[in-house]
Amino acid sequence: MANLLKWWQTMRISWSRYTAYRLNFFLQVIGPAIVFFFIKYSLWSAIFSQEPHKVIQGYDFQGMINYHVWTLIVGLVAQGHTAMNLSEDIRLGRISTYLIYPFNFWEFHTASFFSFQILQFCIALISLGILLAIGVISSLTLSTLCIGFLFCFYVSLFWYLLQYLTGILGFWLEETWMLRVILQIVAGFLSGAIIPLELYPQKFVAFLNYTPFPYLTYYPVKVFSGDYSHLMQAFLVIAFWIGITFVLNHLVWKKGIKNYTAAGM
Amino acid sequence: MIEAINLSKSFTSYKKQDGITGTLKSFFHRVPIKKSAVNQFNLSIKKGEIIGLLGPNGAGKTTLMKMFTGIIVPSEGELLVNGHRPSERSKEFRKKIALVMGQKSQLWWDIPAMDSFSLLQKYYEIPEKEFREKVEYMSTLLGVKDLLHVHVRKLSLGERMKLELMASLLHSPEIIFLDEPTIGLDLVAQENIRNFIKEYHRKNNITIILTSHYMADVQALCDRLVLIFKGTKGYDGPLNDFEKILGTKKSVYFTFKDKTIHDDSYWNELDSTWNEDRTEVEIKLDEQQLRNVSSEILAKFPVIEFHTEKMPIEKVMKTLMANPDIILDHSSQEGEK
Repeated sequence: MANLLKWWQTMRISWSRYTAYRLNFFLQVIGPAIVFFFIKYSLWSAIFSQEPHKVIQGYDFQGMINYHVWTLIVGLVAQGHTAMNLSEDIRLGRISTYLIYPFNFWEFHTASFFSFQILQFCIALISLGILLAIGVISSLTLSTLCIGFLFCFYVSLFWYLLQYLTGILGFWLEETWMLRVILQIVAGFLSGAIIPLELYPQKFVAFLNYTPFPYLTYYPVKVFSGDYSHLMQAFLVIAFWIGITFVLNHLVWKKGIKNYTAAGM
Repeated sequence: MIEAINLSKSFTSYKKQDGITGTLKSFFHRVPIKKSAVNQFNLSIKKGEIIGLLGPNGAGKTTLMKMFTGIIVPSEGELLVNGHRPSERSKEFRKKIALVMGQKSQLWWDIPAMDSFSLLQKYYEIPEKEFREKVEYMSTLLGVKDLLHVHVRKLSLGERMKLELMASLLHSPEIIFLDEPTIGLDLVAQENIRNFIKEYHRKNNITIILTSHYMADVQALCDRLVLIFKGTKGYDGPLNDFEKILGTKKSVYFTFKDKTIHDDSYWNELDSTWNEDRTEVEIKLDEQQLRNVSSEILAKFPVIEFHTEKMPIEKVMKTLMANPDIILDHSSQEGEK
């Protein structure tokens, strides 16, 4: 019970910290998502403008835009979180403070992540409402919506663990932002956030299905479109990768904390 | 309360030559430099003591503090704090200690201090009633009642420091580590913080380990001093004895109206040092001589001002920092005794 209260209070504090600078938060979270969406919109409208009725691997223009609208929503919930604060905490010696509290560093950051997810979920719901109102998204059932979001939350756990791992590499690396940029770009391509996976060679996709990437965007979008056929596979593959990143995090942390010099404390 | 036996910590860093070629070279071949920050350090502290941990920048004070609090792991030696090995970082241990860093804020910047306090209340599982009383008592004593609901980033350094102190004491720690708690504060704020610590210690009899570069902090708070030079212990003993390291003689200063006075043969028999302007003299006297010689000088010469040393430890400290060998010799002599 006492432990639950610690988590709850940490989530509340994180919520106030995220919302302390509302404009900043908005620009950081929504800004890139919208910009990214418009880049993709212009790209695909340029491609389709030559032959407006062309169908590429089952996607007509409307279908393609619909796909990318969903990647926007999925991106907010499944891959919104970054571990920016985490590596900075290490580099500037701020984790010294957390090391002294009887609440662990990972607990603190995980609780923050949960409150971040709630915030992202609200933003996703609002965005969805707007998209529904202007008629970009048409068919949608409540059950699809629920399963879709649950799936996104599940995937976000993996994404969080991966971000955490890049963050605690800060024990050795001066800067970890380039790692995150590389990860973001690789994930962007391999997850289907830029190009739907149908456009890649089949063999490559078959291989990708064993990696966590397609489950970050492509399959969640499919779920939101009512296609549940890969849910079980997705669940198992992500569970496997969650296990791997969890163990890696544990090992890296153990080694890192021994090396930690608390510079600048 | 704290037992350190042959405690050592060394850090490895890498040498880097200047310029682009240096950067390229170090990319392929790095030359490690092992630097010993703390070396074979022994220390024993009893419950309720206030210890001043002093030494020049880079002597290893902060490294010691980090080891005591379990933030970093010692390279060698044994360390027990309140029966726990700090580097294991058990929750039980973490509940008994507190650390205040003058140079680093522990309160969350973007929210009011009271929100941070309630978070700490949950972390340390402090009962609601006790928590309310503690906040009330400390905020009244420190005069920060009105600041509890202000965003921390909007507070002045002095105000923030008081709240930092409060935050660290909410869970009634048994040992508190204060790393330069008065750094950068104005004189009044420094004194407020000192008085608060003194009052809190008097009431709760907690163990306090303090580092500071302000001798006034040390003079006001500490009964015992531990000096650290280049990672090794230089002095460990009562504050009063520390003042006498450079000799038991007292310094008395006289300022005169007239510059020519120093020519008088009277001064030759005394241990006197004149300033450049030849208007002020420092005389070192034994305690028995002090009154006689002083009144003699006052009667004989046109003195316009005179005083004894206000803070003898500051002078001792300055001398030792310039010449650490004195203390190392002193401690080896003590050892022989």
